Amino acid sequence: MSDKAILFNTTRCIACRGCQVACKQWNETDEVIPTEQNSVRSVNRGSYENPPDLSPKTWMTIKFIEKPQGDSIEWFFNRRSCMHCTEAACVEVCPSGALYHNEDGFVTYDKDKCTGCGYCEQYCPFDVPRLDTNIVTGVGKMDKCTLCTTPSLNRLSAGEEPACVNTCPTHALVFGDRDELISEAKTLVTGLQTTGSRVYPKATLYGEQELGGLHVLYVLTDSPGVYGLPENPQFPIAATLQRDVFRPLTKVVWLMVAGGLALNVLIAWFRQRQLSEENSHGND
Amino acid sequence: MEMIERYTRAARWFHWLIAIVFFEMALSGLLIFLPWVPSGTIGMWTRLIHRIGAVFLVGAPAIFMLFAWQRSWDFIKEAFTWGKEDLEWLRAAPGYYFGGDPRMMPPQGYINTGMKLYRISIILGGGVFLITGFIMTFLRGIVPPAVFQWCLVLHDVTFIVAIGMFLLHFQLGVFHPRMDESLLSMFDGKVSGVYAKSHHGKWYDGVNNRDDDNSSE
Ligand code: HEM
Repeated sequence: MSDKAILFNTTRCIACRGCQVACKQWNETDEVIPTEQNSVRSVNRGSYENPPDLSPKTWMTIKFIEKPQGDSIEWFFNRRSCMHCTEAACVEVCPSGALYHNEDGFVTYDKDKCTGCGYCEQYCPFDVPRLDTNIVTGVGKMDKCTLCTTPSLNRLSAGEEPACVNTCPTHALVFGDRDELISEAKTLVTGLQTTGSRVYPKATLYGEQELGGLHVLYVLTDSPGVYGLPENPQFPIAATLQRDVFRPLTKVVWLMVAGGLALNVLIAWFRQRQLSEENSHGND
Repeated sequence: MEMIERYTRAARWFHWLIAIVFFEMALSGLLIFLPWVPSGTIGMWTRLIHRIGAVFLVGAPAIFMLFAWQRSWDFIKEAFTWGKEDLEWLRAAPGYYFGGDPRMMPPQGYINTGMKLYRISIILGGGVFLITGFIMTFLRGIVPPAVFQWCLVLHDVTFIVAIGMFLLHFQLGVFHPRMDESLLSMFDGKVSGVYAKSHHGKWYDGVNNRDDDNSSE
């Protein structure tokens, strides 16, 4: 079965943040808005971005990146959420087996299994998973985008698109077969590079090859760094060590040590008996 | 039969307390490491028990040091005091532990070179466990992710070595035919004069001289 994906075409995004709202509405991740008497408590963070970051209850945000352009500024809008990597470090390091790839290739999780260790948060190349763990006891849970496949809130199994895609008024977000979306995105990128009232020589497709292929694809007008995306995201070496070296080798090493020690006991016991026999013969 | 005190009551209680806590830490850590960690609530308890154990693993030595600081200081000093006879021990050890002629082994002090190495690994390993564990507990999200990742790797490497060292310790203390009084001495605190003479000759001579001095007074 072919993988599904979301394609985010930044040239169409108007940063209305309808996707953020739809995400919260569908996934029931409302956040309490702090109030004051007769008003809402608000903070000016010098940006239109809101909320300022992902959290256990905010699985997606639209980033507002401002680049000075003469007297004015140019906006770059970016969708920040789980990338659903094919080579997903979070899945590899999750000790409880809560995180896994579903049949569409998305990284989803069984929240009942999560023990709140936070390894996924610390190994994610995109800094996406968020935890509500108690710092002393370590007890808590992780949350992140499931691409609308959370059990009992599964839109995909009901034949629906993810909530963010469904609500997007400009079709900046589209959902479909990953292969088809890639060829569509490539056409878009070529178009951006060559035709139109303004050409974007640096336009690229992000997510085709990164980490074995992401399940969120990006059509960008500039280099990934401008959008705050890592230029060359890597599977952490420490996760490779855990997966490919420590876990398989450790049991073998311990068994060999234990076997060697047992052999040592046998040999020592045997030779000591020999020695004492020789001695007792010598005394005769 | 002549019996010589080797471990004080406090030292024995401390040893077995640490043994229990180490077992608890190793088991709960193992479940996270393999990973056979039971998921959900039981998994959370596994991790919580690991953290509670850490309090004992840090607290017990701290209290012991407070009340027996001289003995604690000696414990460290003895481990790091090396001499010519340690090299001789290293040369003779393989033959000796595989049941060769015990007379080839140079006489040892209160602890032998192997015990020194074991103490050093406890001091270093304990330090690495403590520092990396502290960072993973209290500084997750404050230190850069790469620091957390390498703390986990170090914690793992130390764990793998520690279990190896523990297996060796266990084999020598419980199963090795040459160490036939070892296990019992950690319960009643005494070894026989014969055992002391053959295993810790220099220590035995020292104790005897002291006794002689006392008796001559
Ligand atoms: C001061 C002592 C220690 C502290 C503070 C400590 C703390 C931690 C923490 C915070 C974790 C990460 C999992 C979690 O968040 O619950 C962990 C994992 C672990 N600990 Fe410890 N620990 C200590 C000593 C030990 C000892 C003595 C052992 C073994 C004998 C051990 C073996 C392990 C293992 C095997 C893991 C799993 C690592 C992995 O997931 O690969 N720890 N420890």
